[in-house]
Amino acid sequence: MNRNKILIHGIGNEILTDDGIGPKLVKRLEGNLSKKEIDFKTAFLGGLELLDYIQGYHTVIFIDAIRTRGGIPGTVYQLSPENFNTTIHLSSVHDVSFLTSVALGKKLGLNMPLFIHIIAVEIVEDRMFDDNFSPQIREKYEEIFNEVKEITESILAINNADIAEN
Amino acid sequence: MKTYSIDPITRLEGHGKIEIFCADDGDVENVYFQVPELRGFEKFLEGRPVEEVSQIVTKICGVCSGCHHMAAGKATDAVFGVRPTPTAVKLRELFLMAHYVHSHIAHFYALAAPDFVVGPTAPPAERNILGVIAKVGIEIGTEVLKQRRIAQEIQALLGGHQTHVVMNTPGGVRKGLTEAQRKDIEEKAKGFIEFAKFSLKIFNDVVLSNKYYVDIILNGPYSLKIYSMGLVDENNKVNFYDGKVRVVDPEGIEHCKYAAEDYRNWVEERVESYSYLKYPYLKQVGWKGFVEGKNSGVYHATPLARLNVADGMATPLAQEHYEQMYETLGGKPVHATLAMHWARLVELLYASERALELVQDKEITCPDIQAELPNVPKEGVGIVEAQRGTLTHHYWTDEKGIITKANIIVGTTNNNAAISMSLKKAAQGLIKKGIIVEEGILNMVEMAFRAYDPCFSCATHSLPGNMPLEVIFRDAKGNITRQVKRN
Repeated sequence: MNRNKILIHGIGNEILTDDGIGPKLVKRLEGNLSKKEIDFKTAFLGGLELLDYIQGYHTVIFIDAIRTRGGIPGTVYQLSPENFNTTIHLSSVHDVSFLTSVALGKKLGLNMPLFIHIIAVEIVEDRMFDDNFSPQIREKYEEIFNEVKEITESILAINNADIAEN
Repeated sequence: MKTYSIDPITRLEGHGKIEIFCADDGDVENVYFQVPELRGFEKFLEGRPVEEVSQIVTKICGVCSGCHHMAAGKATDAVFGVRPTPTAVKLRELFLMAHYVHSHIAHFYALAAPDFVVGPTAPPAERNILGVIAKVGIEIGTEVLKQRRIAQEIQALLGGHQTHVVMNTPGGVRKGLTEAQRKDIEEKAKGFIEFAKFSLKIFNDVVLSNKYYVDIILNGPYSLKIYSMGLVDENNKVNFYDGKVRVVDPEGIEHCKYAAEDYRNWVEERVESYSYLKYPYLKQVGWKGFVEGKNSGVYHATPLARLNVADGMATPLAQEHYEQMYETLGGKPVHATLAMHWARLVELLYASERALELVQDKEITCPDIQAELPNVPKEGVGIVEAQRGTLTHHYWTDEKGIITKANIIVGTTNNNAAISMSLKKAAQGLIKKGIIVEEGILNMVEMAFRAYDPCFSCATHSLPGNMPLEVIFRDAKGNITRQVKRN
């Protein structure tokens, strides 16, 4: 049973250099947001595994790393599942994509979230084990945190009314 | 020369690429398989207390984390020269059985079944778990997720967390099992057995009853005559947690049977210039290149390999299916790559039965879960069977237990050479002069690879906008003639 209707979920491996930025941001957001009735989780998993985590929530916000063509390290993107095509992984259990998992959950009649948001941070290094960020991400970390917090607050503000109605 | 690329490899953990090189006449000349492997984990462990390592290694891989935890736990036991109490060993093995149940269910229904239930050449949009459910029904889909979730709940109960496991201590486990918890798991294990039997029935009805599929398995381009590797108990029966590593040659004759600490006498790791991933091979046979046969040190460590090396299964129902499999496929050892799916389901049944055996053992709720540590730490090796192959952890420490060096051979790495060879054989068998190479044909090439349930980059997961891509062209001698990078 979920304690709250909103989940903020950081995805990533905290010992894989910049890959861990999602969980690290979520840990810092906990206690730093104006709205208090929120569940916070961190893990490095995806696909089918995520289904177990997100069922029963009204709104889920994922915070994850991303690498794009020519992307500037530290850039923060606000996305929704519809922004992705079938190449999305969002981590995976054997590469069953996140979108496939969401579609599966709906097809099986699971209690899936009404709203799923993705906040992604452009990273540099995610293939070398290290519990520190790359210099580029370390330098911009405060800026990244503030932007992620601002986006999160704006999503929560929009969803508050909807949650109240439900 | 025409080059076909499959990139990314669908339904593979991490990101990989298969390149197929065709000659001017249209026949396949060569196939290269590449993965951008994560780097530096062994170095990352240096300088850390060995008793913390079993928790850190769960972050190597989000799929096999429980197996890494178990191999690390056993290696740490060995570093301290201690054998955990019988109850601790049984609890660890019970955890591993639950891990097998959830992983093998996920592989069969989400990864393997689409090729058979929906069809190997069906459109990609339908050839996935949603397509499987459309064919077999929503009730079965619900049951798949339910059994998988229950297995993970058992992992979380025993391990503290389903993925980030904190179960093992040197010489023991942190938490015992209450009688109420034992009873609960007992009922769940009975459910696993029924579901495993049901899954084998599906395999029988969908695959074995279809002449086309049986023909593909037995006579298609999916055969590889190489050595097999896997853990066996004192009776040479399959064991995932403990025992000795047994290797049999392509004729099924025992090549060696070694204890964990002797692995370096039998396994050597080779580096190829085009891949971060190493190519382990049998040291006493030697590396003769990517070739089959008794004189080549290439081996595989897969569900099929584990069954090939064993004299049988240690549980009754799994033994029945083991016998049926070998009878149907013409006796041991089996070299049909696609038979790995069948072997995996036999293992699912074994893991389910073994879980029930363990949870019905009176010792499982004994409070004696921690052995004393009388020795100064030094060096230790731990081996378990991960779902994807024999998993070896080797640590060296100073007298304070600080890691000075580590070596890890992960499950899939064992199969690196075998996967490359399977892909090449499949491509050569399927892509011929005059054949139009459509997506379905390329998927059938991938099937050779998917049977291994490979897991390479483990925890790599960042949202893919543009995954790093490298295309390499080679001449007949393997020299790079052109290199294109996209980033």
